[in-house]
Amino acid sequence: MSRSPVGRETERVDGRLKATGAAEYSGDYRAPDLAHAHLVTSTIARGTLTGIDTAAALASPGVLRVYAAPDPRLGLYPITGPLAGFVENYVPLRDAEVHFHGQAIAMVVAETPEQARDAAARVTATYDTRPPRTSLADEPHVPAGPTISGSPSSLNILAPGVASIDAALAASDVVVEAEFHQQMQHHAAMEPHAVLAVWKGDQVTLYAGAQVPSAYALGTAQRIGVPPQNVRLITKYVGGAFGARVILWSDTPLAAAAAREIGRPVRLVLTREQMFTLTGHRPQLTQTVRLGASRDGVLNAISHRSVSERPTTVTFPMTPAHATTDALYRTSNLHVDAQLATLDIPGSRAMRGPNEAPGSFALETAMDELAVATGVDPVELRLRNYATKSPSTGLPWSSKHLEECYRLGARRFGWSARSAKPRSRVEGQWLYGTGMATAIYPAHRRAASVRIRLLDDDTAVVSTGISDFGTGAATMVGISGADALEIPLTRVTPEIGDTLLPQGAPAAGSSATHATVPLIVNAARDAIKELKRLAVTDDRSPWHGANADDLRYERGVLHGQGRSMTFGSLLAAVDSPDITALAESAGEPDPRYVHHSFGAHFCEVRVNRFTGETRVTRFTTVADVGRVINSRAARSQLVGGVIFGIGHALLEENPLELDTGRLASSTLADYLVPVNADVPDIDVHLLGRPDPILTGPLGDGSEEAGTRSLGARGLGEIGTVGSAAAIGNAVYNATGIRVRDVPITLDKLIEHL
Amino acid sequence: MRPYTYAQPRTVREAVRDAKPGTAFLAGGTTLVDLMKLEVMSPGRVVDINRLPLDGITLDHEGLHIGALERMSDVAAAPAVRRHYPMVAQALELSASAQLRNMASIGGNLLQRTRCSYFRDVTTPCNKREPGTGCSALEGINRGHAVLGTSDACIATHPSDLAVPLVALSTTVHLASARGTRTVPLETFYTLPGDTPDVENVLRPNELVTGITVPRSPWAAHSLYLKIRDRQSYEFALTSAAVALQLRGRTIVNARIAAGGVGTRPWRLTAVERALTGRPATSATFEAAVAGAADGARPREHNRFKPALLRRTLVRALTELQENR
Repeated sequence: MSRSPVGRETERVDGRLKATGAAEYSGDYRAPDLAHAHLVTSTIARGTLTGIDTAAALASPGVLRVYAAPDPRLGLYPITGPLAGFVENYVPLRDAEVHFHGQAIAMVVAETPEQARDAAARVTATYDTRPPRTSLADEPHVPAGPTISGSPSSLNILAPGVASIDAALAASDVVVEAEFHQQMQHHAAMEPHAVLAVWKGDQVTLYAGAQVPSAYALGTAQRIGVPPQNVRLITKYVGGAFGARVILWSDTPLAAAAAREIGRPVRLVLTREQMFTLTGHRPQLTQTVRLGASRDGVLNAISHRSVSERPTTVTFPMTPAHATTDALYRTSNLHVDAQLATLDIPGSRAMRGPNEAPGSFALETAMDELAVATGVDPVELRLRNYATKSPSTGLPWSSKHLEECYRLGARRFGWSARSAKPRSRVEGQWLYGTGMATAIYPAHRRAASVRIRLLDDDTAVVSTGISDFGTGAATMVGISGADALEIPLTRVTPEIGDTLLPQGAPAAGSSATHATVPLIVNAARDAIKELKRLAVTDDRSPWHGANADDLRYERGVLHGQGRSMTFGSLLAAVDSPDITALAESAGEPDPRYVHHSFGAHFCEVRVNRFTGETRVTRFTTVADVGRVINSRAARSQLVGGVIFGIGHALLEENPLELDTGRLASSTLADYLVPVNADVPDIDVHLLGRPDPILTGPLGDGSEEAGTRSLGARGLGEIGTVGSAAAIGNAVYNATGIRVRDVPITLDKLIEHL
Repeated sequence: MRPYTYAQPRTVREAVRDAKPGTAFLAGGTTLVDLMKLEVMSPGRVVDINRLPLDGITLDHEGLHIGALERMSDVAAAPAVRRHYPMVAQALELSASAQLRNMASIGGNLLQRTRCSYFRDVTTPCNKREPGTGCSALEGINRGHAVLGTSDACIATHPSDLAVPLVALSTTVHLASARGTRTVPLETFYTLPGDTPDVENVLRPNELVTGITVPRSPWAAHSLYLKIRDRQSYEFALTSAAVALQLRGRTIVNARIAAGGVGTRPWRLTAVERALTGRPATSATFEAAVAGAADGARPREHNRFKPALLRRTLVRALTELQENR
C-alpha cells in the first residue's frame, strides 16, 4: 500500500513534458491553412484616429487582410453585465478613439508571421491628439470603491472618546510618518501572450493562456457575438501569468474575429513590447503610513492612505492597506483610505500580491522605522502588537500561527546575532545588514467544480477546468485525488485546462488549492458511494442484494461479506466502463471567521560602499499556509514569490513619460527582472499546520476515504508579500539609509554612503 | 524586417567590392538581426561575412591580434588573453549572456549600436536613427544615457564593454575596403555625435573591420575591468572602468584608464592617468586622481548620479586591482 502523497516531495506530473519541450503551449499548436496576425499599436496616449494608411501593408507580400480602426468587418461587441469588469471597456478596432499609448489600432493577417510583422510596420496613422492625463499628483482623487473582497476600502475605527485618527496619532508618544512611491510594474511572464483560433462551423476553439478559463471563454463569446456554448478554450500549459492572464484583453477576440472573417485558423502572438501595454500592469502607487505607539512600541494608531491610478479602459483599483494594514496588528485606532486618479494610460490588472505586496512594503517599512524609533527589536515589536482577532472586523482567524513563523524564522536565520545599529558590519567593500518583515495574504474560497471518474482499469481521472500556469495545480489535483481515493498517484490522471471540463477554480487570488481540494474530497466520497450502490444493485456483482452500509472502501478496494474486489474489477464484472461523481461549490465563506495565510521573512543584504549596489545574500521565509499538498511545488512557489520581492525591492519599474503617456521601459532589457545571479539560496520552511475551518472539518484520520478535509490553503502569492520590505529594512540596517521609493537603486544610496 | 538581398562571399576582396549604400555586413547577427526585426535598420543588401578568413587569436612581439570574426566567448577563454590582458577577458565575460557571447563577433561588438530605448523604438523621434527628427532622450527617461561627449542632438551611450579596455590599451583597428587596407586607433575610430549622431565611426561605405591589435605593454597584465549595473548579470553598464597600472614598488609608473556607460564613445581618461602617475598606489592617490574624471559632464534629469558614480567606480576598480595583486 502506498502512503498518501500529501505533503511529500512530488515531481510535477507534467515536469518532464515541460523540461523536454514536449508540452504544447498556446503558440505551439498548429492548424492546417494557418494564417498569422500582427498588431499595430497607437503612438499617442489620447485622441482620435483621423486616418490609417494601409495601402503599403496591403501591397506587402503574403498579406491577406489589414483591419484598421474603425473596422466593421471584425464583428466585435461591447460587453455589459457581470463580465463588464472582466474586459476592457472599449471594443478593439471598432472605433477611432485612442485611450492609451500602445493600444491596438490595426491588425495585419498574412501567410507567415514575418510577412505580417513586416506589413504591420508599413501601416501609418494620423491622429487628432489631446493632452493625456498622466500624473497621479495632478489629477483629482476619488475613492477607490470596495476592496477585492467586497469590504469598504476606507475604514475609520476609533477608540471610545477619540475624535479622529489625527488626534489618536497626536496623543501617541512616538509617531512614525512615511511616504512611499512606486512606478508601474509588469507581470513579465516568460510565455508571450499567444492565441490560436480555429473555427469549425459556428464553433470556435481557442488555444490561449487564461487564469480563469470559463470566464475567459464566456467573455470571448460575448465579444465576438456568439452563444457561450460555441466557444471552447484550451489552456493546458501556460508559461507564467501572475495576474496578466486573469481578464480578457484584446488579443483573443481579435484573433477569433479575424479567423471567422477570413475563414482560416489565425494565430496572433503579441511582441514583448506589446505585452507591456496590452496585457496590464501593477498600478503606480503613492502611500502614506502613520504609526502612533507608546515608547515601548505598543501601537495605538495606524493610518494608511494611498493614491493610485484609474486607467480609462480597465482598472485594478488599488487598496494596498486591504489585507495588510487592516488585518495585521492590534490597534485601538485604525484608518485606511484608498483614492484613485483617472489617467490616460494602459489598462491595469492585479499582479501577484496585487494590494498586499506594495501595501506590506509600506506598512512593514514603517514598522521597521518604528522599531528604530523605539529601540525595540523588529521581531519583538511585531510580537508586542500581535493580533488575535481581526482589527477591522473583530472576528477570529480560522487558523493563525504567525508567532511561530517569527520565532522559527528568527532561529533559522540567526536573527539574534544581529546588531540593530546601522553600518555595524563591514567586510571589505561591503556593508552587510539584515532585516525582516511580515507576510499576510487572504484565503477566500471560490466557486469550483470537480469530476472524478473511476475506470475499470483501476485508475481514476480527476477533472476540473483549472489553469496551471506553472503553479503545480495539475499535480495538486493528482495528489489530492490519490489521497482522497487512497490509491497511488500513478493511478490518477489529472485533467485540467479545458472549458469542456467541469468549471474549475480561478487560478487567481492564491485560491485554487483551497477551492479545489475539498471538492476533490467530496467527489471521491460520492464516487465511492456510487461504487457501493452499484455493488449492491447490479445482479452481476457478488454483493448484489447486500446492504451498501456493510461495504467498506479502502485503498481502492471494496470489502464486505468476506470478499474483496478492486473498484476496477468490480466495474469490469458488472460491465460498466466507469463511475462518475461531480462535486460543486459556490465557495461561500464561513462568516464567523477571517482567513489568511501568514509568514515571516528574514533577509541579509550587502551594499557596496563605493558604488552602492545592493545584493541579497541570504533569505529565510517561514510560512503558515495550512497543510502542504506538495512540498516541492509549495517551496518553489514561495521561492518564486521571494524573487518577485527582490525585483520589487531592487529592480522593477516602468517609468511613464508624463508628456507622451508612453511607458519608457517596455523591453526586457530595460525592464529588469531578477536573473539567477541576483537570487541567493532561499531557505523556505512551511509550518504545515492544517486549517481546521477553511476547507471543512479535518477529522481524526479514522474516517473512511473521501470524508476528511486536508485544511490546505493556497500559497501562490504570500512569498511576494513583505519580502521587498525585508530587503529594504536590511538595506537600512546595512547603510543607515531609508529608501521609501522602490526600486532601491544605487543612485538613491551613493550620495549618502 | 524588410526584404533584402543576401550574399555570402568567401574573400574580403569579394565582400567589400560593389560598395554601395544600404549594405550591411552580417557576422554574429546579435545586433543586426535584432535591429532589422525592429526595422531600426533596413539594409537592402546583407553580406554574410562568416565564411571570410577573419579568425585567429595570436600573441607576438607587437601584441595581441584578434580576427574580427572571433567570437566573444572564444576570445574570453583564450589563455593569451586571460594571462596578458585580463581586463579584456573580464569585459567580455561581463557582457551580454553566454548565448550571445557564443554568437557575437569581436568586429560586431565594436560596431554594436546603442541601447538607447528611443533609438530602438521606431515610433519615437531619434536623430541617430532618422537625422533631423530630434532627440527623445534629452527630455525623456535618460537614466542610462551618456554624460560625456554628448551633444544637443544625441546623448546615446556607447554600449560596448570590450571597447573600454581596448581604448585604454591603445588598440588599433584594421580595416579593408575596395580602396585597400588601413589601420586606425580605436579611440579615434569612434566619432562624437555632434550634429551627426547617425555617424558613429570613421568607416567608409562598405569598409570592413578585419581585426584588431592590442599592443604589448608592461601594464596590460595588471589590469581589471569593473562593471556597475542594477542587475548582477545580463545588463548594460551604468558605469564601467578599465584600469591598468604599472607599478615600481608602491609607485605607479604608468596608468591606463578608460570608462564605459558614461560616454557617447568609450571614454579614455588621460587626465586621471596623469594624476596617478608617479604617485603611491594608495586610496588617497586614487581619490585625488579621479576628482576631475567627470569634468565636462552634462547630466540630464535622470542620470545626475553618473558623474559621482563614475568617480566611485574608478576608485573601486583601482582599489580592487591593488587588493588583487
